[in-house]
Amino acid sequence: MAEKLEKYSKKLKNGYEIEVVPLPGYNQVYGLAMTDFGSVNTRNGELPAGIAHFIEHKLFAKPGYDVSEKFAEYGANSNAYTSYTKTAYLFQTLENPYDNLKVLLDLIQNPHFTEENVASERGIIDQEIQMYLDMPEWVLEQRILGQLYPNDPISQDIAGSSESLQQINKDNLLETYRQNYRPSNMDLVIVGDVDFEKIENIVENSDFHGVTDILPPAKQIFEPIGAGGHETMEITQGRSAYGIRIDADVSMPELVKLQFELNMIMEILIGEASDNYEKMTNLNIIDDSFSYNVVAENNYCFIIVSGSTNYPEKFQEYLRKHLSFNELKDVLDEKRFERIKRDAIGSYLFAQNSPDAIANQMAELYFYDVDYLQLIKLIDSISYDDVLRVAEQFITDDNCTYYNILPK
Amino acid sequence: MRKSIANNVALNIKPIKKFRTIKIQIDFLRPLSKEETTTRRLLANVLSNSTKHYPTFKALNDREMELYGSEISVYTRNLLNFNDLAFSVEFADPKFLLHDPNQLAENLNLLGEIVLQPNLKNDSEFDDTAFDTEKRNLMSNLASVGDNQDLVSILGLTSLLYRDNPDRQIPIFGSIEQLKQLNNTDLYKHYQDVIKSDAVVVNVVGDVDEDEFTKVFMDSMFAQVLKNNRQNLSIEFENFDKLLESPASKEDHKHLNQSRLAMAYLTKKLDTSYSRLAPQAMNLILGGDDQSQLFLQVREKNSLAYSVSSSYQPISHLVTIQAGLDAKTIEQATDLISKQIDFIKNDKFTDDQIVHAQKVLDTRREISSDSIQHYIMRSIWETVYSKSLLTDDQFKVELDKMDRKQIVAVAQNMSEIAQYRLIGD
Repeated sequence: MAEKLEKYSKKLKNGYEIEVVPLPGYNQVYGLAMTDFGSVNTRNGELPAGIAHFIEHKLFAKPGYDVSEKFAEYGANSNAYTSYTKTAYLFQTLENPYDNLKVLLDLIQNPHFTEENVASERGIIDQEIQMYLDMPEWVLEQRILGQLYPNDPISQDIAGSSESLQQINKDNLLETYRQNYRPSNMDLVIVGDVDFEKIENIVENSDFHGVTDILPPAKQIFEPIGAGGHETMEITQGRSAYGIRIDADVSMPELVKLQFELNMIMEILIGEASDNYEKMTNLNIIDDSFSYNVVAENNYCFIIVSGSTNYPEKFQEYLRKHLSFNELKDVLDEKRFERIKRDAIGSYLFAQNSPDAIANQMAELYFYDVDYLQLIKLIDSISYDDVLRVAEQFITDDNCTYYNILPK
Repeated sequence: MRKSIANNVALNIKPIKKFRTIKIQIDFLRPLSKEETTTRRLLANVLSNSTKHYPTFKALNDREMELYGSEISVYTRNLLNFNDLAFSVEFADPKFLLHDPNQLAENLNLLGEIVLQPNLKNDSEFDDTAFDTEKRNLMSNLASVGDNQDLVSILGLTSLLYRDNPDRQIPIFGSIEQLKQLNNTDLYKHYQDVIKSDAVVVNVVGDVDEDEFTKVFMDSMFAQVLKNNRQNLSIEFENFDKLLESPASKEDHKHLNQSRLAMAYLTKKLDTSYSRLAPQAMNLILGGDDQSQLFLQVREKNSLAYSVSSSYQPISHLVTIQAGLDAKTIEQATDLISKQIDFIKNDKFTDDQIVHAQKVLDTRREISSDSIQHYIMRSIWETVYSKSLLTDDQFKVELDKMDRKQIVAVAQNMSEIAQYRLIGD
């Protein structure tokens, strides 16, 4: 019987936070270790772009073996990813969850960077970078971020560039690893049928090698938003992005709430059930690739609206005119607000079908002091007036910009 | 529970309590025909644009939101030699909601609207806005295909593989040339034919009571429409003999950062003394995961690719390999790929690799059953081509039956039949 989700969590003496979510009826156990460290953490450009992603790739290498082999021996498949602000390592298994957890701990705790293994990884990551450079949507995201946050690490490819890869070596990898990988900077989530005490015991008895003194966080000062831009690419369809930067000085839990509020504003103004979506479609400004994305992570909070278009100027002009507090005031009513809320609650339930969605969202929210299981309450606490207030404060003319990629 | 409503109209109900959502899917199937491929994709899009009682895209989306974010999906795909036009609605299980206990009937009704209550202009055409919008959207999507290089390389390989089968030459999402010719009246005619003639498989998965759902379904607008007998589905298998005699190859050049290589190999159909899982095990050892030869040799050891993998398609007996590479190293990579196949042919792999392949096959099967779509797909295959499925017991027997010799035999009887290169200049 599917029941409401439960969670067992504990902050351990060694600094680790562990969270365990039983999921009755599911065959798999899903384990995730996430660190609060991503591609933007380059200490204002002191470190080469792509170093977080490089660590993610190369942590799998250990003396004489690769961690993925160990996972495979215990019947698990493993993976990892780097985002702008986080790096995560994960496994999925039917059997040996405790052995696989030990392998996960080995993965994140014992770096083994050598000149040889770093050199061989450069070629692989360079191919990854080249692959993304052929994707217009990906290039567009980098470019609009370059306008929203000029000269900031967030405007660089998460994997870096062919040039920055050359500046990454075993020494700066190790030093950066030591600065950012430590129990107090991580969250461990296990979803599935496991014994909490056994998990606790394993994690309690593990330790990091070579934890170092931590440098104070680099002070981040953002440059003014760029005026917009465009470039050409060998593509058949043009792509446009409209960006809004939100400089909000709020606490971590409030940032999560702000993300939901901004999502609601965007859904009301340009979501598929909005008048604007219908009008833009009828004016042939957008096609069904049109979408928006609200990101609120650490010091970054922004909205990117993007899609294919043959009329980039009209695309930008329309959004500049209609993404406004005044328009929101005109179209928002209690009935629409209630629908938007229901939709958000439904999305939360849909995600609970998936162990990986539960684990990833739970770990992400941990860093914002928000309990995943309380998300419905958080959504429910958002009022009609909250949404209007946020729109009035942040959806203004002076914090937006654009970027277009046009066919050659 | 499996119930036949009419000839080639099946209703399958799978009560499972572990999910937070319930999904209802209705698949309309008929033989693939190149003349209809684009029509059916446009039809899918037009029907999911709006309905009689929700006559705009906005109104339909509002309704989905009201039902706690119900997800309507309509698309076409290849299933054997059939074109499958699939409609589905997935919605929050009402027992997790504080209000609205009537989710099941309301969502079935919404799906009924999509399938059976289209937004019409008159008795022979769809609403102009719905038709024009979706035709424009599809045109734009088709124009964008050329900007997705992985897709371009898959399509390049597919085109070589099915060079003698015109019905497969048009990608399942259609072609610009055909779309330009399509008019509203012809699309509506096709819709009427789909509703009247296509074989139909209805599936529901989630925490539902079989009797209650059957009653709700048979009281719904679907019952009347689906009570008529439908055409039989005659299964036809691809024949790649001509490509065995004369393999196909093609090289295109584009201004790209990365080149793409796509290769297809035909494996020989094995007799029943062989495990049915032997080709899948061979594929796993070759390029099926991060412990495979391709991953370890092409990517990890020689740093030639970020993505390189192989996959096996049991129905067509094809092994396909895809890689993203630097144009300068494409020959080196191709050579290395051939060496990995030789490695298996020459029986050089370890016992651990066999054990790993067996474990992965078992794990993937079990983990896939943690998704609601797994049950729907399994039920469709059971209805359309049950021979393709193994029960849990049969799977175990086949897994135990598999040995080294069989894996070697699969590789030894594998021939390259097509190769497509997209070279980045």
